[in-house]
Amino acid sequence: MSRVLVAMSGGVDSSVAAALLAEAGHEVVGVTMKTFCYSETPGHGKTCCGLDGITDARRVADALGIAHYVFDVEEDFTRDVIDDFVDEYARGRTPNPCVRCNSNTKFRDLLVRGRALGCDRIATGHYVRVAHAPEGSTLMRGLDPSKDQSYFLWGLPADLLPRLLFPVGELTKAEVRTRARELALVTADKPESQEICFVPSGDYRDLLRRRLETVHPALEPGHLVLADGTVVGEHEGFAGFTVGQRKRIGGGFAEPMFVLEIRPDGREVVIGPREQLFRDRVVIEELNWLGPAPGPGRKVRAQLRYRAPAAVGEVRLLASGRSDGPDRLEVVLDEPQAAITPGQSAVLFDGDVVLGGGRIASAGLSASTR
Amino acid sequence: MDPIYLDHAATTPLREEVLAAMQPWQSDAFGNASSLHRWGRAAHAALEGARAEVAAALGARPAEIFFVRGGTESDNLALIGSTRAKAASGRPVLVISSVEHSAVRDAAAHLSAEGAADVRVAEVSADGALDLEALAAMIEGREATVSVMWVNNETGLTLPVAAVAHLARAHGATFHTDAAQAVGKVPVDLRDVPADLLTATGHKINGPKGTGVLFVREGTHVPPLLFGGGQERGLRPGTEDVSGAVGFATALGLAVREREANAARLTRLRDVLEAALVARVPGLRVNCAGGPRSPHVTSVGIPDTDGAALLMALDLEGVAASGGSACHSGAARTSHVITALYGADDATATVRFSLGLGTTEADVLRAAETTGVVVERMRATP
Repeated sequence: MSRVLVAMSGGVDSSVAAALLAEAGHEVVGVTMKTFCYSETPGHGKTCCGLDGITDARRVADALGIAHYVFDVEEDFTRDVIDDFVDEYARGRTPNPCVRCNSNTKFRDLLVRGRALGCDRIATGHYVRVAHAPEGSTLMRGLDPSKDQSYFLWGLPADLLPRLLFPVGELTKAEVRTRARELALVTADKPESQEICFVPSGDYRDLLRRRLETVHPALEPGHLVLADGTVVGEHEGFAGFTVGQRKRIGGGFAEPMFVLEIRPDGREVVIGPREQLFRDRVVIEELNWLGPAPGPGRKVRAQLRYRAPAAVGEVRLLASGRSDGPDRLEVVLDEPQAAITPGQSAVLFDGDVVLGGGRIASAGLSASTR
Repeated sequence: MDPIYLDHAATTPLREEVLAAMQPWQSDAFGNASSLHRWGRAAHAALEGARAEVAAALGARPAEIFFVRGGTESDNLALIGSTRAKAASGRPVLVISSVEHSAVRDAAAHLSAEGAADVRVAEVSADGALDLEALAAMIEGREATVSVMWVNNETGLTLPVAAVAHLARAHGATFHTDAAQAVGKVPVDLRDVPADLLTATGHKINGPKGTGVLFVREGTHVPPLLFGGGQERGLRPGTEDVSGAVGFATALGLAVREREANAARLTRLRDVLEAALVARVPGLRVNCAGGPRSPHVTSVGIPDTDGAALLMALDLEGVAASGGSACHSGAARTSHVITALYGADDATATVRFSLGLGTTEADVLRAAETTGVVVERMRATP
């Protein structure tokens, strides 16, 4: 059996992934990536080295009798993920830091360091499936529809796919918990992590205030406007908003109002009633394909938010900026969808198979459906 | 194949003789050395016997030996105590070398942060040289403490402690040396080196963890950091660890008595290891090769590799070594010692192999071969 590197976050899913691979007879090497430091100051309660994730992952690795190491990726993570997160909010968009991490930082580093450690393959606790065949590997949605995490993995470098294993993608969350309890893993009943790993307070605006200049337009007050430009109120900074949001708009309107659009240039947050949230054309950029790129006219399913159902649409090609293919494309959806948000990912599927995806640049509404 | 332990500078296994000497003081002879009854008297006698043995091994007098609970505590007590003792006539100077252990560095940083001392750093070169004139200028006309380690833990580099000690004495400064990596490895005799304070620890010399001493030369004043029952003449209160003291003394006695024979054996093994590494790994640099070194440490710089991954890969292939200083999480960081010796732009990955009692020639040859295999694999990785 081969040597497999398992990325262990300290959560139940990657704990069980490691256990399943060890059970199958692989030589399993557990690693936890140290991505972010809460504080290096001595005497501070929550030190980086005592991060719960690292501690729990080590305890699980010890219980399974496997090696465990910590990869310090703080520098890369800050550059690729945190800086991007801040930039995106500053531009009035809503970033997906987990996608950035998976696409740029985590798997690339695991592959390089994994090879150094003599590991042929890399495994994580993501709820996705991968099928390996001589003609190529395909990434598919996880078996448990309520936990499927394929939305976060469209940006994987395609050359990596043949080396990946996702053992819990074949299981439901309930089955994973059951296995963890049977193995008496300390992480068996650990709650799901909900917040962004580098925003322990839960309010990302604290991070923006720390990392942006003291006076930054994204954190300065501005107007709440209607689609026709009428000023109907004030907001405390457009970085506090995302398309489709109701919170922080205030009351006094005849019907519930939602954020329709963020216009960073004028510091305007455009709001309107729910029916104005729908769009049927999505332009996506920073494309990545896990197999052949879908050609023009190809019918696909596009997932535009984590946990949102995929919408059927057709691929149209846009400007070609590179010799190896277009760097932006448009998907025209059969049915308009609510709250398509710039900065979020658009992931394209053929059934359960992940074709690839990109970042949403903008969304529009066809003239015929207006 | 059995894994090979080449990390004796991190810690060492307890010798059987040491365990045997400690054992009674953990069981039947469990008395408190401060008690007046027979249990207490027996414990006290053992403690004082241990103190005399330590003093004899270091060339000191028993009254100059204070048992503490390890090297870090000994270093902190020396630096903080000595600095506080000089506080009456204004803020004193504390000079440390650029390659000190974090127990010294961080204690100095703490004293600096709380405004208790003006901390200065004396640079050490890769061949072990230390600019004595520059050091003299730092302490000239000031109340000062100077702390320079005897043997550097990361490279084995031996520093000119005798010269520094004489210089400090000539300037009326207090001289402390962290000799945790020196005792039992190189000749350490306090009759030859006029150090005022010296740190030693048990677990680096096949003794028990959590044991150590601070030597305080007669006439040197160090106030305590802890307060309590007055044990160790008030310098380190708390019920004495008789078993630990006996274990430390036994380990130290053995290490010093066997030092010459061991040093010869380790030097030969180290030379075999270094020759094999140089032959097997293109571009490899033996750190501090041109300087005086303790025989138990080989530190190498390997270009075009990732240090953290290299150590992990060596571990997976059964070779236990270490790199720079490590965070508690195990995440490797660039070593301040290598940075001090070779500059911040030094791009090599550091691996420290440290040899000890059980190390064999087969071990070091296999370690060199494994390093070669792993580095080849890493360099082939795009």
